[in-house]
Amino acid sequence: MNSTQMNNTIDKLKFLTKWRYASSILSIALMLLSLGIIGIKGFNWGLDFTGGVVTEIQLDKRITASEIQPLMVAAYQQEVSVISASEPGRWVLRYANIPDENQRPELLTVLAPLQSDINVLNSSIVGPQVGQELVEQGGLALLMAMLCIMGYLSYRFEWRLASGALLALVHDVVFVLAFFALSQLEFNLTVLAAILAILGYSLNDSIIIADRIREQLVIKPQWNITDINNLAIKSTFSRTMVTSGTTLLTVVALWIMGGAPLEGFSIAMFIGILTGTWSSISIGATFPELLGLNSDHYRVIPLPDTP
Amino acid sequence: MKPKSKKTLLNHYSQWKYWLLISTLVILFLSALPSWYGEDAAVQLSSKSSHTLSSEHVYQVLNQAGISSKRIEQKQQNVLVVLQDPQQQMLAKNTLINEFEKQAQVTLSLSPAAPTWLLNMGFEPIKLGLDLRGGVQFLLDVDLDLVFRQQSIMVGDSLKQFVRKQHITGVSIHSGDSAEVTVDLTLPEVRGQIRQFIAEQYPLWQVTGQKDRLNVALSENEKVKLTNLTVQQNLQIMRSRIEELGITEALVQRQGDNRIRIELPGVQDPATAKNVIGATASLAFYPVLENGSINALVLKDQANNPIYVARTPVLAGDHIVDARAATGDFGMAKVNISLDSAGGKLMSDFSRYNIGKPMATSYSEYSRNSLGKSQQTTKVISVATIQSQLGNNFEITGVGSHQEAQQLALLLRAGSMTAPVTIIEERTIGPSLGAENIVNGFAALALGMSLTLLFMACWYRRLGWVANIALIANMVMLFGLLALIPGAVLTLPGIAGLVLTVGMAVDTNVLIFERIKDKLAEGRSFASAIDVGFDSAFSTIFDANFTTMITAVVLFSIGNGPIQGFALTLGLGLLTSMFTGIFASRAIINLVYGRDTRHAIKV
Repeated sequence: MNSTQMNNTIDKLKFLTKWRYASSILSIALMLLSLGIIGIKGFNWGLDFTGGVVTEIQLDKRITASEIQPLMVAAYQQEVSVISASEPGRWVLRYANIPDENQRPELLTVLAPLQSDINVLNSSIVGPQVGQELVEQGGLALLMAMLCIMGYLSYRFEWRLASGALLALVHDVVFVLAFFALSQLEFNLTVLAAILAILGYSLNDSIIIADRIREQLVIKPQWNITDINNLAIKSTFSRTMVTSGTTLLTVVALWIMGGAPLEGFSIAMFIGILTGTWSSISIGATFPELLGLNSDHYRVIPLPDTP
Repeated sequence: MKPKSKKTLLNHYSQWKYWLLISTLVILFLSALPSWYGEDAAVQLSSKSSHTLSSEHVYQVLNQAGISSKRIEQKQQNVLVVLQDPQQQMLAKNTLINEFEKQAQVTLSLSPAAPTWLLNMGFEPIKLGLDLRGGVQFLLDVDLDLVFRQQSIMVGDSLKQFVRKQHITGVSIHSGDSAEVTVDLTLPEVRGQIRQFIAEQYPLWQVTGQKDRLNVALSENEKVKLTNLTVQQNLQIMRSRIEELGITEALVQRQGDNRIRIELPGVQDPATAKNVIGATASLAFYPVLENGSINALVLKDQANNPIYVARTPVLAGDHIVDARAATGDFGMAKVNISLDSAGGKLMSDFSRYNIGKPMATSYSEYSRNSLGKSQQTTKVISVATIQSQLGNNFEITGVGSHQEAQQLALLLRAGSMTAPVTIIEERTIGPSLGAENIVNGFAALALGMSLTLLFMACWYRRLGWVANIALIANMVMLFGLLALIPGAVLTLPGIAGLVLTVGMAVDTNVLIFERIKDKLAEGRSFASAIDVGFDSAFSTIFDANFTTMITAVVLFSIGNGPIQGFALTLGLGLLTSMFTGIFASRAIINLVYGRDTRHAIKV
């Protein structure tokens, strides 16, 4: 590439710089907002984490929640949540467990006045200690994954590049968590699994751009970092779009067809992929620049000719 | 130096690579195939004695009850009935129990529906998790505190006895509140005596503490051992009980330190299962009388021979605090038994007058049978000769091989030290919901897959079909591996992982294709762009997949059943996508475009 060509490319990509800065500021602002939302709203923890009883039953379609509720409340002496499930006539009942089996009213007997042959589709009873442990284990899993990834990144990349990818990662996880806090969708184990999958996925995008930045820094040591970033984003852009596109397609397929048990998972993944793509282009690449990354950090040190 | 013949080697894979590729794909395809056929509901009859069951008889009984069967297989002494209609499985089981209760154990089972030639090659369908199959899952908590407390009471009791015998004064001993025994002393001089007693009698216990207070406790190492023994013993009990329930494909597994996970596929009624899991076991020692004695209790041993014993046992198993297998003189296996002080006194009184006579150990269990009736089963597990007067600690010799001694020790502990278990989690998934989950999951997979295939075919016209073949091969390999790996279970989140893999697997090809595009834009020929494109994309692909692999591994090691299923398909998907995306697609591209030296090609 001769120097006029080079300057041409640099000039053509100059417009990206502004975009990157603007989007980075937006990302940081959104991230702070997200943290606020999580702090204020908290999560609607699923049964896996809180413990209790969840039963899904199939009743006659004409029976309404206002008929089920009073029977349940009277029998169990507590607030019972009655939510209609994906299909008409299907109800999800959730209440705290009564530990003593002899005192525990039988669900089918309680609802017998409504219908005698109730079909129990599934039921889960989770003890409180299990939930507490899962919260701890889930947190531990998140932390472990982060630490391992951090270790690998700092081994493979210069620390400035690595921290860019890491910031993008934190951004994505915080954003998805904030969505779950804001929408009060149930945060259950599959959502946690989705969050961990997002960790891996978001990193995919960041790493591919970081890889390109590293490569270009070595090939074009005379370029400044802003232009290298622009070039790296430009040259990986089509790949980023295609892969994010196909992954989004499959996640949407899962959302539409997967049914209620996978709904939380699909939504989390959907948002995670969107923000993952966004953050890898915005802060993922820009942050290392602000930290002062330049081609010196990847200069090839010539080996001396004589041993 | 040889001249480099790079020109001829460009984009060339040697023949063995193609053979490797093809044979891997064929094997995994065959392995994936049985899952396509699914499984049929079946009922198995295992003969209790050497009496052979007749399949004609079984057929007649079922026919009369209006149950139609696909086939009835006779395997040695067992009969397997494969049913036409899975809804009739419970009915078939109950019908057969009524008829064959005396002769056979009737269990629910599943039989692969794939053609026999495929099954004969050793391939099996993918095992489905409870969320896809329907069934009941329990998580049991083993209460170890109680075990530790029992141990501390035993040591405390024997220390009290020692103190009394030695006329040591100014000592007060507390035990049973925790895993420790605390000894308060007013006279520090006796400390040495107590330390010595513990060191001699209970070498596994450690004495700590200063001046006027001593703490006697099991070392951490021993606590871990005891925990493992207790949980293992509970696992053993649970396994044999569930066998009684008649569920062949049940899973009883340790989870974490002191948890047991039990999965009972196909079970619809958790109440019966709960009764069986919660049943208690007990143990007793009996004086053995002569064969044919009157006024004796007749018990059966493991080989079903009658053993005549006294009506009242010397002592019951609730006095046993520990039992461990060990190697005695001449390398003979033996079992060391520790009793609490009351039990020790009973045993010592009895054995003093009965040296040289046989003593029988019986194991009995209360449980409910599959029809819901309570029943007690008692079996003599060993008959041994009393060698000398016995005390708190004694040994049983003549217990057979070392392995049998281990088993006996396990059973002895099983009868006595059984830590109480509580059910802390219980999940029931109805069969209709399981089937619905499968349908939904695979519909999502089909939709996601076809959207991706369509997209890739449109976007990369010339190379898209290669990526699509790689993607299909990837799915075949994933299913093949899932069926092949022992212990791999497909769950609903696992299917989600498969769907996600479809979307992410094309990334490998996308990265490579984009590089090839770049290289073509730089003015290289197609063949050379392919060569450089594959090489330069590799490190990026590796980095990107490695980090996702980290999360998959973390998820697998920390998650529970369904989540592990997700981690498994995600992780396996990464491996297979690297194999098909890099290796398989390169092999195809080499063959088709490897010699294509045209420039300025659009891909």
